[in-house]
Amino acid sequence: MKKRGIGIGSTFYGTGYGNGFPDVSKAIVELSQEGEIVLYVGATEVGQGAKTILTQMAAEVLGVSVEDITLVCEDTSITPDAGTAAASRQTYNTGNAIKRACENLRDEMIKIAVKQLGLNSSIGVKVENKKVYLNIFPDKKVSFKEIANLQGEETLKTEGIFTAQTTKMDEETGQGAPYWPYTFSVYGVEVEVDTETGLVEITKAVCAQDVGKAINPKLIEGQIDGGFAMGLGYAIFEDLGLHNGEIKHNRFTNYLIPTALDVPDLDKIIIEAPETTAPYGAKGIGEPVMIAVAPAILNAIYNAVGVRITEIPITPERLLKAIKDNGKNKLEEGKI
Amino acid sequence: MKKINLKVNGVDYSVEIEEDVRLLDVLRNQLRLTGTKEGCGEGECGACTIIMDGVTVNSCMVMAFQAEGKEIITIEGMATKSGLHPIQRAFLEEGAVQCGFCIPGMVLSAKALLDKNLTPNREEIREAISGNLCRCTGYNKIVDAIDKASKYMGKEGDVNGI
Ligand code: FES
Ligand code: FES
Repeated sequence: MKKRGIGIGSTFYGTGYGNGFPDVSKAIVELSQEGEIVLYVGATEVGQGAKTILTQMAAEVLGVSVEDITLVCEDTSITPDAGTAAASRQTYNTGNAIKRACENLRDEMIKIAVKQLGLNSSIGVKVENKKVYLNIFPDKKVSFKEIANLQGEETLKTEGIFTAQTTKMDEETGQGAPYWPYTFSVYGVEVEVDTETGLVEITKAVCAQDVGKAINPKLIEGQIDGGFAMGLGYAIFEDLGLHNGEIKHNRFTNYLIPTALDVPDLDKIIIEAPETTAPYGAKGIGEPVMIAVAPAILNAIYNAVGVRITEIPITPERLLKAIKDNGKNKLEEGKI
Repeated sequence: MKKINLKVNGVDYSVEIEEDVRLLDVLRNQLRLTGTKEGCGEGECGACTIIMDGVTVNSCMVMAFQAEGKEIITIEGMATKSGLHPIQRAFLEEGAVQCGFCIPGMVLSAKALLDKNLTPNREEIREAISGNLCRCTGYNKIVDAIDKASKYMGKEGDVNGI
């Protein structure tokens, strides 16, 4: 028999290293001799889109388009340390460092422009389209190239450093503020359980993810899709088969991951609640998008067949056994 | 040593091979077509997917000598001088690529599908790429991209250079 059920899972997740551990990101931005913007950042791109969104943030501060920025990434001989691409921290931490570095560069360029144009102050001076100009009298302007020339041999280079604020938990009580910021997410899934085979199919799924501010909505959607598939694999397929420290399921024939046929089209709801300490309000979502998937699926299975599963992955054998045991218990308790 | 003749991306090659090498090795190591990836090396992941005489095969499971006289398309054969293949363009536009490791295989599986069926529904698309594992994208944007590519190709035809 096929039985359907729905389930919800919700999490809040503290991004960054946390627990008072020094979590530092650095970035450098340069106005090259040709007047081009070069961004140096050590953040690692693993497909999550760090290079894209970090460049977007720099472009926003400097009033240029993304194409106008040359990104130098992941080269330890010239890029400053931006910490690991882990803990869902690059958007928030390195984003902040980049924003600071670019704000510093912008301020330096404005200083040079104020002097060059003989202005009274920096009030009303804007940086846009590769030039610095006076908003109330746009003819008063200097291009990035001219600023670079004025600067001479030594290029204009500024740094941005961001250190996240977290505190160590009290070892006795476990109390404290170990993380900042947190992101929140909810998954809702509908499953169909085949009570004869023990197979679970996800028939519908929806994810609502708090992102602070969506710097690049398409990348966020991709992250959610990927997180869902990974969470789904975690919940019903993936089993390392650890025996005495040895991984028995060390190939795709026995370590199963979801295929395109296992993943449903996912309804994605991006929730924007800007975080004040974040760059443009944006927070990381890499891990948050997968955590609530397994609980939502387990709850949906409970809703469908009335059994509480406490061990994952929920392989067909495990599920059939649980359904059978549950039936037996109920029989003994005289409930059916 | 043995000599085989094959056509890859429209170019005729005659290659000296060791008898026990796989087609994947010839493509990557001898022809230097490194766009074809090796994931599992045992026919399970699809990263090494290529098109051989019109059908997709896992090139890690094909012995090089079996490619004698065959016509092969790898990811390097998809773009033309005038630009990306519509499938590649759709992948980029839809944000269907994350780490990228599965993508050459995905693109070729998509091509094999669309060459036969230019109006697949989403289930048929999923079926067609079900032999290509992806750890990053959750597949949905890939399905979106193939769907979009089918529309491009319906309008523009397959602009493949071969
Ligand atoms: S490398 Fe050929 S199928 Fe995985
Ligand atoms: S994009 Fe990373 S495996 Fe598919």
